[in-house]
Amino acid sequence: MWAIVKKEFKSYFLSPVGYVFIGLFLVMFSIFFYTDVFYYQSTNFEYIFYSGATILTFITPILTMRTLAEERKSGTEQLLLTSPISITKIVLGKFISATLIVVITELCTFMYFGILSFFGEPHLTTALVTLLGFLLLAMSYISFGLLASSITENQIVAGVITIGFFILTWFLPNFSNIFTDFSLINLFTKFPSGQIDIADTVTFVTFTIMCILLTIIVMQRRKSVR
Amino acid sequence: MIEVKNVTKKYGKVVAVEDISFSINDGEIIGLLGPNGAGKSTTMNILTGYIEQTSGEVTIEGYNTLKKPKKAKRQIGYMPEGVPLYTDLTVKEFVTYMAELKHVDRKTRKDKVQKVIEQTGLKEVENKLTRNLSRGYKQRVSMAGALVGEPKILILDEPTVGLDPKQITEIRNLIKELGKTHTIILSSHILSEVSQICNKVIIINKGKIVAIDTPENLENRVNKNNCLYVTVEDTENRIANIKDKIKEIKNIDLVQENEDGTKQYLIEADKNVDLRKKVFSEFAKENITIFEMKKADTTLEDAFMKLIEGGNK
Repeated sequence: MWAIVKKEFKSYFLSPVGYVFIGLFLVMFSIFFYTDVFYYQSTNFEYIFYSGATILTFITPILTMRTLAEERKSGTEQLLLTSPISITKIVLGKFISATLIVVITELCTFMYFGILSFFGEPHLTTALVTLLGFLLLAMSYISFGLLASSITENQIVAGVITIGFFILTWFLPNFSNIFTDFSLINLFTKFPSGQIDIADTVTFVTFTIMCILLTIIVMQRRKSVR
Repeated sequence: MIEVKNVTKKYGKVVAVEDISFSINDGEIIGLLGPNGAGKSTTMNILTGYIEQTSGEVTIEGYNTLKKPKKAKRQIGYMPEGVPLYTDLTVKEFVTYMAELKHVDRKTRKDKVQKVIEQTGLKEVENKLTRNLSRGYKQRVSMAGALVGEPKILILDEPTVGLDPKQITEIRNLIKELGKTHTIILSSHILSEVSQICNKVIIINKGKIVAIDTPENLENRVNKNNCLYVTVEDTENRIANIKDKIKEIKNIDLVQENEDGTKQYLIEADKNVDLRKKVFSEFAKENITIFEMKKADTTLEDAFMKLIEGGNK
């Protein structure tokens, strides 16, 4: 599995994908940082992550849309699936490498924490809880992105499905309160206030596991219908 | 040793491969032949574990591909059709990645990758990105990916497709060389290639096996009657009299009329009769000038066509 993690992680930086994702996130994050600090005179590091979650919603497909779709389209999927590595390890390898990119992005955002520490007293524990929540949200997004990428060989279609699903779950609570807990981005809202809500954490983790399992099932199933 | 027992693969109601059974012994080089859509690639994909059969059993070196897929896959090096490669990796990185996927031990990995790179003649391009290589080199990289990890069995899907004649010869020689130490299954459309390289041929048509034999036996199986091609100048069309003069002749067919006025005929006779002497003397008596005379040999292509046509009827 680590062979796949290593190769995929490297591929993010051999192609523009890794740079585009991290760069785009940090540029937009910086804009929100600027408005928060200078416009609203706030030194709250964690509140910028509300905007960060919105950015993540739109840029996660950059990381995930090609992962499995491109392998299928180019035929390299045959190399993977005829090697002695299980489908579970292939999917997990790709999931972990995409998650690592988010971790790097989060580490980069810590420089803003440093800047704020210089001018005020941001709360470290709250910041770490926020980063944990953000990582959980990113993992859910990535797992769904992988699932979308596994059902098509067209990466654009995979990207559209991913963004479409995120936006749908985002706005569903506007139609009825029943859907409140279905909105992934809503589940993140308590983390920036320093709370680790068990129910929200479990939902994130369960959603991630469910999407990974579905991806494995889709790939396994295609072996018999391919 | 590969054993395929009663394997069937269905896509909904469409049967891609139906109840095929065969076994391949260690050290054999097997050619898988068949028209497009006959089930060659499906058979290869089932052997490599890329797809699962609907029913039946495949064992590779004693490991069932469905029950022990990892162990079965470890025995196989696969070169897929179309040569899919990771274009953002260099040759060395690609082969190393393949070695990692095949769980080649970290301590010996570097040496084994180097050995395969040298074996496939990739040393001079090992640091080039695979996307910048010619088709011939890409084919070699794919072959190196299949070879690394020392698999006992090599499965090569259309290994020479899209190559120029020089590259084809190089790849064929490489396959022959590898055949000394590996069991090889290859599919090809080039029948002369199969008869040159392989010591056994499996012919598939419409998802069923129509023949398994050596190329020589297959050729003999459909051996034409004793046939001669003769190119003659026969302005008075006296060849019609020949059949009466040489009783052993069963049939004379005009093959083609050439621009220089000569005609090529196919003369068919009973087996075990050498017509050439009689043809030579009788044609001279009839004032027919022979420009060329040659025996018609049966090729694997003839055998293939006959077997496929037999299946289509």
